[in-house]
Amino acid sequence: MAADLTSIKLNPDSHVLLDQPLLRLPHELVKRNFRNTQRYVERERDQILPSLKDTANAALSSSQTPEETLASLDAMIQRMQTFKRKIDKLHAEEETLHEHSAKRIRHLQELYEIPSLADVKYDDWARTRLDRLMVDYLLRSGYSKTASSLAETKQISHLIDLDTFVTCHRIASSLNRGETKDALAWIAENKNSLKKLITAPYKCTNLEFELRLQQYIELVRAGTIPKKLEARMYAQQHLTPHASSRPDAIMQAAGLLAQEPNTEAEPYRGLFAPSRWRHLSNLFIETHHTLLSLPVQPLLHAALSAGLSALKTPACHSAYNPASSSTPGHARIATNTSLCPICSMELNDLARNVPYAHHTTSFVESDPVVLPNGRIYGRERLEELQRKLAMSGLGGGEGGIHDLQIGKEGEVRDPTTGESFTWEQVKKVYIM
Amino acid sequence: MEAIQKEHDKVWNSCKQSKTTRHVDDIIVALQKARDAIAEDPTSRQVTLAKLQNPVKTMFDGIFSGLRDTHGLHNKYTRALDKVFKDKVPSNEIDTLSSHPTLINRAIYLHLLREGLFDVASTFHSEAVEKQQSQQETATNLDLDVPMEHPLGLDKSSEANMQEQFSNMYHILSELKDNHNLQPAIDWARKNAAALEARGSNLEFELCRLHFVSLFLDRRDEDQSDFDAPMRALQYAQSEFQSFRGRYLVEIQQLMGAIPFSSNLSESPYNTRFNHSTAWEEVASSFIREFCSLLELSADSPLYVAATAGAIALPTLLKLQTIQKQKRTEWTSQNELPVETPLPPSYRFHSIFVCPVSKEQTTDQNPPMMLPCCHVIAQESLQRLSKGAKFKCPYCPIESHPREAKRVFI
Ligand SMILES: [Zn+2]
Ligand SMILES: [Zn+2]
Repeated sequence: MAADLTSIKLNPDSHVLLDQPLLRLPHELVKRNFRNTQRYVERERDQILPSLKDTANAALSSSQTPEETLASLDAMIQRMQTFKRKIDKLHAEEETLHEHSAKRIRHLQELYEIPSLADVKYDDWARTRLDRLMVDYLLRSGYSKTASSLAETKQISHLIDLDTFVTCHRIASSLNRGETKDALAWIAENKNSLKKLITAPYKCTNLEFELRLQQYIELVRAGTIPKKLEARMYAQQHLTPHASSRPDAIMQAAGLLAQEPNTEAEPYRGLFAPSRWRHLSNLFIETHHTLLSLPVQPLLHAALSAGLSALKTPACHSAYNPASSSTPGHARIATNTSLCPICSMELNDLARNVPYAHHTTSFVESDPVVLPNGRIYGRERLEELQRKLAMSGLGGGEGGIHDLQIGKEGEVRDPTTGESFTWEQVKKVYIM
Repeated sequence: MEAIQKEHDKVWNSCKQSKTTRHVDDIIVALQKARDAIAEDPTSRQVTLAKLQNPVKTMFDGIFSGLRDTHGLHNKYTRALDKVFKDKVPSNEIDTLSSHPTLINRAIYLHLLREGLFDVASTFHSEAVEKQQSQQETATNLDLDVPMEHPLGLDKSSEANMQEQFSNMYHILSELKDNHNLQPAIDWARKNAAALEARGSNLEFELCRLHFVSLFLDRRDEDQSDFDAPMRALQYAQSEFQSFRGRYLVEIQQLMGAIPFSSNLSESPYNTRFNHSTAWEEVASSFIREFCSLLELSADSPLYVAATAGAIALPTLLKLQTIQKQKRTEWTSQNELPVETPLPPSYRFHSIFVCPVSKEQTTDQNPPMMLPCCHVIAQESLQRLSKGAKFKCPYCPIESHPREAKRVFI
């Protein structure tokens, strides 16, 4: 019993591990918003203060007419108004993000108020978590309509990050189609934030370099003289600056100019290969997720991998377990227990290659007995099945349940195989 | 979580009271005033412009000092997050599923059907087919391979069948729960009587009994006397309980015995049978269990059970992963997890047999063997102890030959 008490203990601090991105992502977005604000303010200050000074000097030296002074003041006012609109928009975005975070914190707080894993409130909370995990998975896999329809039905829109993933997926697909425009625009937009991902001696992210390289490859692939010239110029501008930090790639790029797109010679074949687009798309997703503190794999994968293993037993894929959906010709069986989720058809194949749970002690039904076919059950379960079968008029005495001494006379039905035996054939067995 | 909330409140407050916009407004006003003054009196422009320099600079400085404060609050909030979320979310190291997107899609699709989310399920279905088509097009254009299997891992017949079965289940359930109409459930139970009986299920009787009870308690406006409702129940019993008579005699006698007490049921011995607030919920969940069992599916969504078990087990596995990373081994490559991952009792679906000699779980390759003394050990232990000859059971004095041991199924 002591073991059962610890097994239903809910430790929220370790439990919220999977919910990390729920708070991390909006915070990353707030920080990105902040850096943008800061950049705008700096830019305006560096623009307005000098031009204000110039205007004042020009007025002092009378090199500007009063009309010209007014005109430059008007320009400054207009500039500041545009600036104000940008700042207001960023500010409104920031407020929405904080509102989301607040709701999410409240949602996590609910977990801290649930006393144990056996509480019904935990069940509700865990169902919402599964909904979130599914939405996260669907969004990452590009099923955004399904994701938003699920989120709407379950009223968890405040707990999901639709826009972020839709944008990410749009750019990833454009790369898969062989387009670099959107990805390069994204890099430009996130220039400040991306800096934190660059480690010396590199001068830009792998993603940016690989995209530039791809653009260069496409110019070379086009093959015409003007395109090759353009390729050379492009390399000069975008690749040569990385010659010291990425010498191998730059050498290969240089060599590529002398190659035909259908070359069989490596590494050039690899550079021309269309599968590079898939690589770029994956690299983009990885960079995007890292930047926003999102795990690279769907959280559902982590939860399921762990869960499949924790639930899996050697019986789940055993050839002698008719309940397992992997057993050939698995029979509809007269079992009176609920079916194991790993044995069930939905997860059986998925769980095939994960390790099974580790146990140090046996766990069998109390008062175990063995049937002539070698199957072992708790006596009570056999008696219970006999009682039910007798009540529904199958097996046991003809007069129904009341003339029958359950567990002593009449038929014993094997709940797994459906075979029938008599109680005299049932033997006690000792499980240490 | 409280610390997180506290720090977040501060960040949010500072956002609400942000002075940035006000400073920007001030700058615009200052510029506008100067402009108006100069337009009014062009000769004042040197003085006006000279006097404008410092205030505008101060206002910009004000914006920056506000931003610096915000930055500090952001850092504090980050630290509060870091404190609770010490470990990184497990990623690819722990992921054995990336190579099976179709199987995951199928599990999700079936989960949606199971939960009665038919609209979401059908959106998923069409979106998945659409996505696969567009991927195939792209792939053809770029000359790449693309998988041709159904994106949700369904074959045509099972797909239609599942959807039909579950929508039938939800129809019956909603009649039962929302309208307290048992008829569709009773019809279903009668149609599947043979399969249910083979399972030892009493569902049909449970449903009819609840119908009897609800008729019994259903007082109507047009009723002439207190006995009208019990009489309607009696009529129902006479027509419907005939087939149950042999098997549920005592139960039926109990139900009938309540009729004379109908006016003050609550003080009669029959009260518990009739005044049962959770009866509808209980019947509904037995119905779901039986319905899913006949489809050879577990009663609760496997996806839900597995994801929840995963959330419970993950912290333990993560700790292990950190240790193993240092030793450069991976748990996903082994047959068995190296540590125990305790789950609540409701997550146990199989018996577990750990050989008392070797301390290993038995498998198809190393199955449990019962000695003539009825002690059970693993086959490998048996071979090791006996070396093929007569040997003494490690748990009692009885000796036996290994060929007398019998394969058992636990
Ligand atoms: Zn199983
Ligand atoms: Zn023995």
